[in-house]
Amino acid sequence: MTTILAIDTSTNRTSVAIVDGEKILFSEFHDDPLAHGEVLPKLVAKALKIESKIDCVAIGMGPGPFTGLRVGIAFAQSFALARGIEWRGVASLDVIAAGITDAEFIATIDARRKEVFWAKYVDGVRQGDIEVISPLSLPADIPIHNNLSPDPVILARLCQGDANVTEAIYIRRPDAHPAPKGITFRPMTAMDLVTVHALEKASYADDPWSLAQFKEELAGKDRMYLVAEKDKKVIGFAGVMHRGDTCDVLTLTVDSTLRRQGIGREMLRRLIDWSRNKKVPAMMLEVRAGNDEATPLYTSFGFVAISKRPNYYGPGVTAIVMRKELTT
Amino acid sequence: MSQPLILGIETSCDETAVGIVRGRTLLANVISSSVEEHARFGGVVPEIASRAHLEAMPSVLEQALREARVSIKDIDAFAVTAGPGLIGALLVGVSSASALSIAMDKPIYGVNHLSAHIAVDALNSDHPLKPTIALLVSGGHSSILQVNDIASDVKVLGSTMDDAAGEAFDKIARLLELGFPGGPAIDREAKQGNKSAIDFPRGLTHPSDQGEHAYNFSFSGLKTAVSRYLQQTPLSARADVAASFQEAVVDVLVTKAIAACKETGIDSLVIAGGVAANSRLREMATERTAKAGIDLRIPTMDLCTDNGAMVAALGSIAVSSGRAPSQVGFAASSSAGLNQIIW
Ligand SMILES: [Zn+2]
Repeated sequence: MTTILAIDTSTNRTSVAIVDGEKILFSEFHDDPLAHGEVLPKLVAKALKIESKIDCVAIGMGPGPFTGLRVGIAFAQSFALARGIEWRGVASLDVIAAGITDAEFIATIDARRKEVFWAKYVDGVRQGDIEVISPLSLPADIPIHNNLSPDPVILARLCQGDANVTEAIYIRRPDAHPAPKGITFRPMTAMDLVTVHALEKASYADDPWSLAQFKEELAGKDRMYLVAEKDKKVIGFAGVMHRGDTCDVLTLTVDSTLRRQGIGREMLRRLIDWSRNKKVPAMMLEVRAGNDEATPLYTSFGFVAISKRPNYYGPGVTAIVMRKELTT
Repeated sequence: MSQPLILGIETSCDETAVGIVRGRTLLANVISSSVEEHARFGGVVPEIASRAHLEAMPSVLEQALREARVSIKDIDAFAVTAGPGLIGALLVGVSSASALSIAMDKPIYGVNHLSAHIAVDALNSDHPLKPTIALLVSGGHSSILQVNDIASDVKVLGSTMDDAAGEAFDKIARLLELGFPGGPAIDREAKQGNKSAIDFPRGLTHPSDQGEHAYNFSFSGLKTAVSRYLQQTPLSARADVAASFQEAVVDVLVTKAIAACKETGIDSLVIAGGVAANSRLREMATERTAKAGIDLRIPTMDLCTDNGAMVAALGSIAVSSGRAPSQVGFAASSSAGLNQIIW
């Protein structure tokens, strides 16, 4: 018979089993979303005391919260390598589904950030790929199975089938944003003021800063202004000021034809770097209520809306005040 | 067991690395870096680093065993970086090492990354393990350490108040549009420039900084000064700026390290970490330590940047000095200090 060590860490649960044919020699789990790394070696060491001769390692390949998921995969692969035995991967969501008897249903695994990994199963067969979605958007007419964890005994059984998953199932891409290509960033100089002012007028037709205001700002103390350039032409600018206990973003503007390419993101990142070095606990900024382009950018950097200033940008235009803690 | 055979794993940042040593002899040092993937982002992205560690680990392990011409059955103990570092990245190494240890029923040592950087100096030399001052400079760390006993007694004399030295290089390279990683780029550019062209500030070197900040660093003022200089002198020669910036950083590093040797009466200095590759740092440190009668040691470059051999070296020292191995399921710690050298 084949003795299989099965390991899954795709949910809050760390689970380990040793299965020999129909015989379950060991099956235990421990629930803790942050302790897969500590729990897994202990469980496996305990399991091996019961049966140390292992022929194959079955691994739950996810999807699931990344850090815990990787603990199980790294451990299982290295164990197999050390023993010179085979490992076989299975989608953890399929393992969960194999424990459900409904004819038609949806199974989910928590994906953090108010989303779930999900797939639909009919007669035990997954329909299409596993995807990530808000639980509010799941189809409403089919039973949904949440908050289940893969049973390692079922994992051991499934790993002997045809489906062999060889890579971690991430689905989500890493939260990384490449620096925009062909764009350079440098401090603003007096030579830039005319172009900067033109860009300002084009961007904020109703309430632009005047050229004199820009001159005064650039000469001011405790400020940092920078420009983004493409083909030697200024296409964006941003400024930040150190004022007492915070650093305040004064402006962040990108040519309207070149938005959504990461230029604003890169400038904001530089403003944050500068502010961190001022050793202030927080950054602040104001954004026009309803500015749907800028708000998600600020939110993605950890800015949180803390108050409103009615009529800040002229009659009827409210400013949302946002704050980002720099202490973390 | 006279000469323990140790396999060490390092995954605290963006290098997936496995080293194998027998006693103090280096047998293999295999490194797989994801730095090129990070270059597109101008810095290390933790999730990308962690994914790369998981993908690279099996082949890096196998290659290290092949290069060392040993079987995993022959390994007497495993060692792994348990902190400090990126937690998601550390966990890949710690989980792999735990699995190896449990699968082969051999002890495991979780070790401190900073201490390991210095322990690597023990390899391939019969140099006695004596107390030393260590200057540890890289993208992740900038500190001056007093190493009384590498496996049990390492004190931080000072560290950076803001950016790590390597980070300062990255940021200035970005200002000068020289690319990432910034260290090698600035080193190259500086060779074409005049290091005395611009007198950039030396952070925390004022007489009033003696005492509390005698061995601390601050590079943010220097960064601001370079940025302001470029703003006011947009047509300045980049090579001169790079050379003068580099001179300012290196001057502070070497001055403080030598001052630490003098004050503690320890006549030995080890420079480790990625910034030890900087040619001007090597040159200035060599000159000034010679003058001060200090024994200077800089490990070869592949042992200065993050690597597995340094982890194996510290593991080997722990075994030889009779230290108890780590418990099964010990926790990695992203912010571990030097009060914890062996887990
Ligand atoms: Zn390091």
